[in-house]
Amino acid sequence: MKTRYALLPSLAVLAIASSAALAADAKQPPLGLRNEGMIATVPLGDLAGGAQSNVAAGITNPGASDAEGGRQLFIKLNCADCHGFTAKGGMGPSLVDKYWRYGGTPAQIFKSIYEGRPKGMPAWGAALSSNDIWQIVAYIESLGGTFPPSDYQAAMEGDRSNEQVAPELNFEQKLDGSPEYMTPSNGAGSSGEQPAEHK
Amino acid sequence: MRRSPIPKIRSPSTRALHRPRCAAQICLRCATRSMTFLLFVATLAAHPAAAQDNATKPNQSANPPQQSTASEVHSITGATANFAPNPPAGEWPSQARDYANTRYSPLNQINTSNVGRLRLAWSFADGTQFGHEGAPLVIGDTMYIVTPYPNIAYALDLSKPGSPIKWNYESNPSPVAIGKACCDAVIRGWAYGKGKLIFNMLDDHTVALDAKTGKEIWRIKMGNVENGETMTMSPFVVGDKVFVGNSGGEMGKIGWIAALDINTGKEVWRAYSTGPDRIVKIGSEFNPHYSWMRGKDLGVSSWPPDMWQHGAGAVWGWISYDPELNLIYYGTSNPGPRVPAQRPGNNLWTSAVFARDPNTGMAKWAYQFTPHDQWDYDGINENVLIDLPINGQNRKVLVHFDRNAYAYTIDRATGEVLIAAPFAYLNWSTGFDPKSGMPIVNPEKQPKPNVKLSDVCPPDIGGKDWQPTAFSPRTGLIYAAIFNICMDVTDKPATYIPGTPYDGMDMKRKAGPGNHWGGVIAWNPATGKKVWSLDEQFMVMSGVLATAGDLVFYGTVDGWFRAVDARTGKVLLSQKLSSGIVSPPITYQGPDGRQYVAVYSGVGGAAMVAKANKGFPPRGSTLYVFSIDGESPSRGPTLLTTQAGAPAAQALDQQSGRR
Repeated sequence: MKTRYALLPSLAVLAIASSAALAADAKQPPLGLRNEGMIATVPLGDLAGGAQSNVAAGITNPGASDAEGGRQLFIKLNCADCHGFTAKGGMGPSLVDKYWRYGGTPAQIFKSIYEGRPKGMPAWGAALSSNDIWQIVAYIESLGGTFPPSDYQAAMEGDRSNEQVAPELNFEQKLDGSPEYMTPSNGAGSSGEQPAEHK
Repeated sequence: MRRSPIPKIRSPSTRALHRPRCAAQICLRCATRSMTFLLFVATLAAHPAAAQDNATKPNQSANPPQQSTASEVHSITGATANFAPNPPAGEWPSQARDYANTRYSPLNQINTSNVGRLRLAWSFADGTQFGHEGAPLVIGDTMYIVTPYPNIAYALDLSKPGSPIKWNYESNPSPVAIGKACCDAVIRGWAYGKGKLIFNMLDDHTVALDAKTGKEIWRIKMGNVENGETMTMSPFVVGDKVFVGNSGGEMGKIGWIAALDINTGKEVWRAYSTGPDRIVKIGSEFNPHYSWMRGKDLGVSSWPPDMWQHGAGAVWGWISYDPELNLIYYGTSNPGPRVPAQRPGNNLWTSAVFARDPNTGMAKWAYQFTPHDQWDYDGINENVLIDLPINGQNRKVLVHFDRNAYAYTIDRATGEVLIAAPFAYLNWSTGFDPKSGMPIVNPEKQPKPNVKLSDVCPPDIGGKDWQPTAFSPRTGLIYAAIFNICMDVTDKPATYIPGTPYDGMDMKRKAGPGNHWGGVIAWNPATGKKVWSLDEQFMVMSGVLATAGDLVFYGTVDGWFRAVDARTGKVLLSQKLSSGIVSPPITYQGPDGRQYVAVYSGVGGAAMVAKANKGFPPRGSTLYVFSIDGESPSRGPTLLTTQAGAPAAQALDQQSGRR
């Protein structure tokens, strides 16, 4: 998606000169990513909700093993001063409470860090490597408030793991009979009669 | 002996005629009228049972209750104040009501004998969900309100049943501001002058509206919100000038105060809180009392190279004005970053008070409360200007309750500290050196990078935050809503990245000694001693209102609104409101002649540090207005209806189908 790159020039350049640490981190080899274009496979998604997941939301975090590196970045980049040193919220929202206005799967969190968000979250995409962002995502994942990639749809609909599903749930869709309204076969949807596999 | 003015029963049409008569300083002229009421009140005082009877009886009079004096005036300190600009007794035209920042009302229909009969007269919910820290203004027959983000202005018509909306104005600040404001998306008030309602938007614009119509007269951009700068303070009007300042002390912004032309919004001058004398507006007339604050460009040399540029000293608190000395007074915020190891030096002019010429902006004197602040002790709290007999001399002083938990009585002509005494529990300092004017720092409570330091008192938000004190000329005392909090802190060195916090304090706050979070005190500014105190389980962040009824009003963070006897501290009324109270109560006289007390209930702001405490209330947005027995044109047994002038604003996320 070229839109990702098109965004770059308009992003505020964030203090690159002020942080030698940032430059040093950027030199590290990316974790399994061929190039910075990895972000291109992260979908724009549906921030307002309502649409079905597309495949890319199911990206797992290639940096998932380096939560400690992410924690250090979280403090070094002043994330902790907004979201709290225990990430339970402060100026910015809690990152441990299972409530995600812009989505709580690894790819969605990546997007929020990369793009910034309207209520004051800076856009870090211009200043940080994908590697750094995935590390920060890994730290946030380690805190337990995120959703696994397979929960993209479930999280959007406010579903919990293994919850009861009323048998009438798909009544209208059955009446309608249109296949495009049925639960996708990838198993990510929880609007079907079978709850998705959750962690 | 001073007595408060005793207006006769007034009909709305004669109200204006009485206006000049009832300013508190000229009340001696009214004193003779008070004799009959004094007798009446004296009877009540002598017979508590009779007063009690009266309190439980419904008011049978169809007429508004008459003003009556409270008990005989007996000032403990003999302190007085200049109540300029001497607004009509029934009005509340600025956040602190007067230039001196007394928050004292000469109204006394509601007093110690009848405050127990306060009931709801009417209420107004604005629907916004951030902390409500500003107080309504009442000018003429209109009440003015500006909400927290998204900063909607309302004019309410007090002359009609239901106090309907006359007009609203949607300022539409950028949502980016929400995440750049350190301590909730609040504003702390709005101002009135020259027929204009003036307020700061959270995203760094100052706006002036025609108070009659709500139409925008001017609007000026004062800063860049995306870099972490916001504006939360109440503008302050003197004559043709509007004084405003910035927030962003936690964001590495350089602090400033600016004067705007009230007719055009054009900036007249701006003075920064750090940097070379040229931009701090320090010149030949600058004459601080203490030698360590004298010298060239101390706003640069008291910092490591260039660090003053992100050194904060934000101006987010209250401004006072002395018309005789022709000086404005205001405080500056903490230095940035909050990790002191990164900025050796005194870090001037942060955590300080400035006295400036309002016309030129040039500094007359300054005094730094907390040199090289290590705990986030902003110096922005209000400066109350009173004239106070000390050791037989009448001194023009300012009284300042600092975040650092010292209360200062300072000569406001020279900046000399006359008294500095702890008003809340503190352990960061072991005493005050009157010779140097410096606090003595306790070496055991100095944070070091990456080392956990336990039980530092007070914490970042201080022994008292911005919530303002009040002064009563009847008692001569200052009344303060305070905290009793400590912290465990670990400093984590911070990097300056624009638009993110330049902070580094990893903190856990907890109740101080006695295991309660707040309280209210009456303070003798001539001796530096408490006269009485009340402990509160929760923080008290409402500030205080003092009235000629010898009452002190305040609200708690868990939502109790209280009226207290100003002389004894005895609680005379407690009323639970819907949300927590973090806004100063006010009082006014309605067009119907009755005295009302108004207070917002809408917890938020720095009170959210206690959000995990048991009993912490949900947010809210309701203004409550009380009167004796709830009597008002907005309450009655008949079919009352609202003669509305305008509908509510629709700028909220929840309204108009907005997402």
